[in-house]
Amino acid sequence: MKIGGWSFGLGAIFFLFVGGAYYYFSRDEIGTTALVMTGGLAFLVAFYVLYTNKRLDGLPEDRANAEIDEADPEYGFYSPHSWWPLPVGFASMMIALGFIFTAWLAVLGVMVLMVAVIGWLFEYYRGAFAR
Amino acid sequence: MTSAALGLVAVTASGCTANEAFFFDLPDPASAEASIVQNLWQGTWIAAWGVGIVTWALMLWAAIAYRRRKNSDAVPDQTKYNLPLELLYTIVPLIMILGLFVFTARDQTEILAVENDQSETINVVGFRWSWAFNYLDEDVYDVGTPGLPPTLWVPVDEKIKFELTSPDVIHSFWVIDWLFKMDVIPGKVNTFEITPNKEGTFVGRCAELCGTDHARMLFNVKVVSRAEFEQQMEVLRAKGQTGKLESERVNYTGERPSEGRNL
Amino acid sequence: MTILNDPVAAPTASPTPKQVRRSHLGRTIVKWVTSTDHKTIGYLYLITSFVWFILAGAMALVIRAELATPGMQFVSLEQYNQLFTMHGTIMLFLFATPLFVGFANVIMPLQIGSPDVAFPRLNMLGYWLFFFGGATIAISFFTPGGAASFGWFAYQPLSNALNSPEVGADLWFLGLAMGGLGTILGAVNFITTIFCMRCPGMTMFRMPIFTWTIFITSVLVLVAFPILAAALVMAFIDRKFGAVVFAAENGGAILWQHLFWFFGHPEVYILALPFFGIASEIIPVFSRKPIFGYKGLVFATMAIGALSVAVWAHHMYVTGSVYLPFFALMTMLIAVPTGVKFFNWIGTMWRGSVSFETPMLYTMGFLVTFLFGGLTGIILSAPPLDFHVSDSYFVVAHFHYVVFGTVVFLMFAGFFFWWPKMTGRMLNEKLGHVQFWMVFIGFQVTFLVQHWLGVQGMPRRYGDYLASDGFTTLNTVSSIGSILVGLSTLVFIWNVLWTWKNAPKVTVDDPWGWGGSLEWATSCPPPRHNFTSLPRIRSERPAFDLHHPELAEHQPAPATPVTSGSAS
Repeated sequence: MKIGGWSFGLGAIFFLFVGGAYYYFSRDEIGTTALVMTGGLAFLVAFYVLYTNKRLDGLPEDRANAEIDEADPEYGFYSPHSWWPLPVGFASMMIALGFIFTAWLAVLGVMVLMVAVIGWLFEYYRGAFAR
Repeated sequence: MTSAALGLVAVTASGCTANEAFFFDLPDPASAEASIVQNLWQGTWIAAWGVGIVTWALMLWAAIAYRRRKNSDAVPDQTKYNLPLELLYTIVPLIMILGLFVFTARDQTEILAVENDQSETINVVGFRWSWAFNYLDEDVYDVGTPGLPPTLWVPVDEKIKFELTSPDVIHSFWVIDWLFKMDVIPGKVNTFEITPNKEGTFVGRCAELCGTDHARMLFNVKVVSRAEFEQQMEVLRAKGQTGKLESERVNYTGERPSEGRNL
Repeated sequence: MTILNDPVAAPTASPTPKQVRRSHLGRTIVKWVTSTDHKTIGYLYLITSFVWFILAGAMALVIRAELATPGMQFVSLEQYNQLFTMHGTIMLFLFATPLFVGFANVIMPLQIGSPDVAFPRLNMLGYWLFFFGGATIAISFFTPGGAASFGWFAYQPLSNALNSPEVGADLWFLGLAMGGLGTILGAVNFITTIFCMRCPGMTMFRMPIFTWTIFITSVLVLVAFPILAAALVMAFIDRKFGAVVFAAENGGAILWQHLFWFFGHPEVYILALPFFGIASEIIPVFSRKPIFGYKGLVFATMAIGALSVAVWAHHMYVTGSVYLPFFALMTMLIAVPTGVKFFNWIGTMWRGSVSFETPMLYTMGFLVTFLFGGLTGIILSAPPLDFHVSDSYFVVAHFHYVVFGTVVFLMFAGFFFWWPKMTGRMLNEKLGHVQFWMVFIGFQVTFLVQHWLGVQGMPRRYGDYLASDGFTTLNTVSSIGSILVGLSTLVFIWNVLWTWKNAPKVTVDDPWGWGGSLEWATSCPPPRHNFTSLPRIRSERPAFDLHHPELAEHQPAPATPVTSGSAS
């Protein structure tokens, strides 16, 4: 993950440098803010990725001579299918249309959104999946 | 090489001039600044066509010369990189680009210079959907409608300073033959100076979407001798169009725009 | 991991009574609507965005019909403004951006040897936000005031409540905000997948170029789309709740432009880079050589991505409000890494064994077309030259050359290339060739003449012009070209429909024979979690090494032959 982290890191250095140069020549607050904040975003991700990477020892996907069966046989849990993304998306539309047309639709949308998000989060902790 | 020659023959045989063919029929410059633009336009296009012809030739050559022969099982050399070559085609374009930048920076500084030594100051008001011209030094104005585009009168071979204002939305003041446009932005005064050096009647158009009748927001520019310009100002005076057309929707504090809120 | 083959096609084969077939349809719909499989979600994105492509293309045909001769023959000026606004909005936000998400979804996890993306349900949410955001925008056509009519960049104050009071504009702002959120979630998913779910041995510098472009593009999405979303929401608050963020007296006109273009310029590279990646996948396969200058391409992609964030105000040269030299220099600099990519693609073909199946034909069409768009881009990067041609048909011609040249040509290239992988059948080659020539010639006829129109003084977004303007002939030519482009799409649809039932099924992993990346090391189509076994990864072309071991490089000869069935 070091390469990925440094991709963001180089980006951070570039954006902060360009932001500084831009402010020096143009004194434009809007563009400078955008560039500096972009640099901040890149720095945030770079820092997190590189810091996390330091705590992991040589992942198999980062080693040139790794073998396929070095990866965990049990890759993790994959949701086989799920109804919940649909109501979350639909609720977003309800909220948007509610803001545009009529407040009660937005309120209803927020309620549907809450139910849908909670349903999503707890999907694999309930019913057949409960422990 | 033969295809380039053929192209040239085709172009000239069809009656196109070089300007029409390779420079996209750039209008003849009608101002001192426009000549600078024309020079830069032609020089840049010559370089661009050069790069284009070389690159098209390379790709067409690759497509033809290395085309797989029928039923060939050929496995070509699996070349993966060539560092000197890659560096070459990184550095050479970089140098060309930096050269272009130098000329560009020089020309834009000259075109956009505002030296305040103009002989006429004209406040152009762009509004939905026509133009008003406040001849600030003459204390007269003129205004048009979409159905009756207004005429901007300008004396030839004199430096004119334009101040662009708008009471509503963004418009753009484009006189085609001056090879120049500048946006008209509400809340801001945009300024440029220009020296028209060809007499005649020229077309002007709004070049920033401003609503339903954007396509009808036209105007004419008549570049005339100083004497005739004075005459036309008299005509406006006689019509009673004295003073300045103000728009109450944006407050310019009653002062001439040039003394106001330039960014 | 299941070995069950899970093809996309609706059940065919045995003749079933109508009743049973109907329940199959219902089950298929439910399966797709609740899917968490990146391939299915990708197909949803591809299909939906192609439908939007057809709708926006129809709008373009109306635009061209109207402009063919002076006078308003078909629509009013207000309707015309709605047409080009929605044509641009749909093409950029509802066609090209979701198209990249679709290709990335289908192909990228396969290329890195992963069973799915990092967040499968979030993936589907991204699709629904795109779907419902698009639906919100579609509603605007059916409102009394009609759809938004202020151009796809919605300059303030034209797009505020005073100048654009229609509710269609509100729907436009919030529909795009929703869609933008979906794209951001997709980008998060892609970056996480690429960082965390590569198979062993798949180092970053062994990933295919397409995957690299998806990575860099996703970073650009993270940089650009949040600013767009913020600007859209703020503009909506101005409209609905009387805020004055973008009021003209507060410098709002220029503020909007800065915010919009800080998004808008990276957006066009978000569109271009993934398709450049597709070109980088196709050219090696049909030249029987590895991609030339792999590392150079990676660094060039990074350079393009980084620079694209620093050039936004080249869209604002004529506002008199921006620091010109900075943006001119940055914009000119972007040409350098783009040129590097071009020469690397040509270098891949050089001394290769090149064949012109439809994917390669389309890629050549892209190379020829995009080059010219890039050259006109250099012209536009110079402010003194831009002052004349900004907001004219020269710009319209430029961006159609670069965007259509990249997105549309390489979309069809990608479709023809990956169709067997996605569906298990090949598209028809002859129809593909016919379609290519129609769209290539039609495109050149439509858009080449527009360069002259712009330089001669025809502004963009004009629904009409005077007979005395001298624009008529070129406009008529352009409109004739557009008919050819429109017809070519019908050829493609016919190709899809006919081969769906009639083309023979593909039985091998790699019908093209010379695929390098991992998707060509699994079945056509792949099983539910992509691979039943993975080959050893020792280069950037693991499938090539698997299928052509005699040509593979640093291969310590394996003790047992590596076949795709062996459990190692």
